Amino acid sequence: MTAANILFDIMSFIALASALYVAASKNLVRSIFMFFVTLFALAGLYVLALADFVAVTQIVVYVGGILVLILFAFMLSGRETLDVLQQPERKVWKVSNLPALLIVGLLFVVLINVILKTDADHLGWVSDSIKSKNYIANSGDMTANIGINLMTRYLLPFEVISILLMMALVGAAHLSRKEQAV
Amino acid sequence: MVIYLIYIGVAIGLFAFAAVFALFAVYYERKLSAFIQDRIGPNETGKYGTLQTIADIVKLIQKEMINPTAVDKWLYALAPAVIFIAVYMGFAAMPWAPGLVPSKTNIGLYYIFAIISIETLGILMAGWGSNNKYSILGAMRSAAQIISYEIPAGFALISAVLICGSLDLQEISMQQGVLVKEQVKFLGIWDVTGMGGILSWNIFRAPHLIIAFVIYFIASLAESNRAPFDIPEAESELVAGFHTEYTGMRFGLVFLAEYSMMFLVSMIGVILFLGAWNTPLPNIGSIHLADWTTGTAWGIFWIFVKTLLLVTVQIWIRWTLPRLRVDQLMDLCWKVLTPLAFICMVVSAIWRVWVMN
Repeated sequence: MTAANILFDIMSFIALASALYVAASKNLVRSIFMFFVTLFALAGLYVLALADFVAVTQIVVYVGGILVLILFAFMLSGRETLDVLQQPERKVWKVSNLPALLIVGLLFVVLINVILKTDADHLGWVSDSIKSKNYIANSGDMTANIGINLMTRYLLPFEVISILLMMALVGAAHLSRKEQAV
Repeated sequence: MVIYLIYIGVAIGLFAFAAVFALFAVYYERKLSAFIQDRIGPNETGKYGTLQTIADIVKLIQKEMINPTAVDKWLYALAPAVIFIAVYMGFAAMPWAPGLVPSKTNIGLYYIFAIISIETLGILMAGWGSNNKYSILGAMRSAAQIISYEIPAGFALISAVLICGSLDLQEISMQQGVLVKEQVKFLGIWDVTGMGGILSWNIFRAPHLIIAFVIYFIASLAESNRAPFDIPEAESELVAGFHTEYTGMRFGLVFLAEYSMMFLVSMIGVILFLGAWNTPLPNIGSIHLADWTTGTAWGIFWIFVKTLLLVTVQIWIRWTLPRLRVDQLMDLCWKVLTPLAFICMVVSAIWRVWVMN
């Protein structure tokens, strides 16, 4: 067991345990704050995978942006709405739940199948890229690499995404504008 | 094993620094505000009242930690820790002198920017956990303000990063002094490579970075909830904002976080715009002032003095300007600072491509 292995075990345990708490807790606000722990543990796992830029982006986007946005929506809504949300019907086995149960069950079977079928230690494409030396070592210039690739090889997808975000911004500004008196 | 001990030692050292700095910054702020308002300030405890804040902290530690009945226990208890840890973790990537940095990462600035945004979450936790209308109003105001002002601050930082071409804070520091390996030009015309000093600081390498620095400084005031942007804890409307319900050491942690945050944002400003740990004295002919005043001890001295100067300006502004209204605050951010910062970024890109090559 190296230090990296121990860290991996600790962080994946935190991620899984907090995710379980998020799904199972009856207290919605605590779920949101626990979700923060899940995201943080995931960022730690990214760092272990040498993707430090992705890890920091995860924190900026999810913790600094989306999580705070969810909290805002939560705190702006009234207490009555929240109380209804916090006491849902606990009966799971109902006829009206049948489609959902079916989908979840099938997805579970697929996932289990995938996990059992993949031989994670001897993946074909991994050994191929090791053979052809097509991998990145821990050299410390990941960020420069990402920047250069974004501006050369992946320029078109990058621009398309930025146009999509722009459209979302314009749409949001339009929706939040006051109706003009006719 | 020794290397882990060093890690722990550095972490403890940074914590001790944050705590001691907060103690004396409070004393400094009280003395300075007294001077501005023509009072004497603390003068009873110790010579010139120097022991006043130490007496205060001793009292805070002894105080009972009261848990109001209706609070959400976990969120209420953990919030001050989250707020402080978010600021404290930011110190991990701060360079202090040539070759002296707790964690040398190549995404230093981005990391600090991300870690600071966690503070918002801690403030929202405190506001919601306290179960008090003043707390939640303060927390919402604070979060709205911090999120809005992150945008001009981010753009201003990016315009400096574009000029330097790196996110590594040590690399950015290196470029603004005599230790630089590439060519540095004063205002893009006068070659000052090897002269160093104030001439090669980022704000003089490209003149629009002066505007970017001012934008960053204003935004950093808002991010650390300092006056004139202190509506989250406006005493006359919200009692004490998001930390209304806190007593004892929990309140102490919130306080510690505020002063550490002041130091942290000032230090980022110094590193990116004001030459980091480089000396302001240039080499003139055969008088090598810059070479004589560059080194590990000098580095710590310069960065500390410069940061302290910025903190002084922050305090000075707090005791001079009145508080902004919410709509004025948002107008300033979205209609003035954000477009200006955006223009700065575009100018930086053009400068990098046309002037620096």
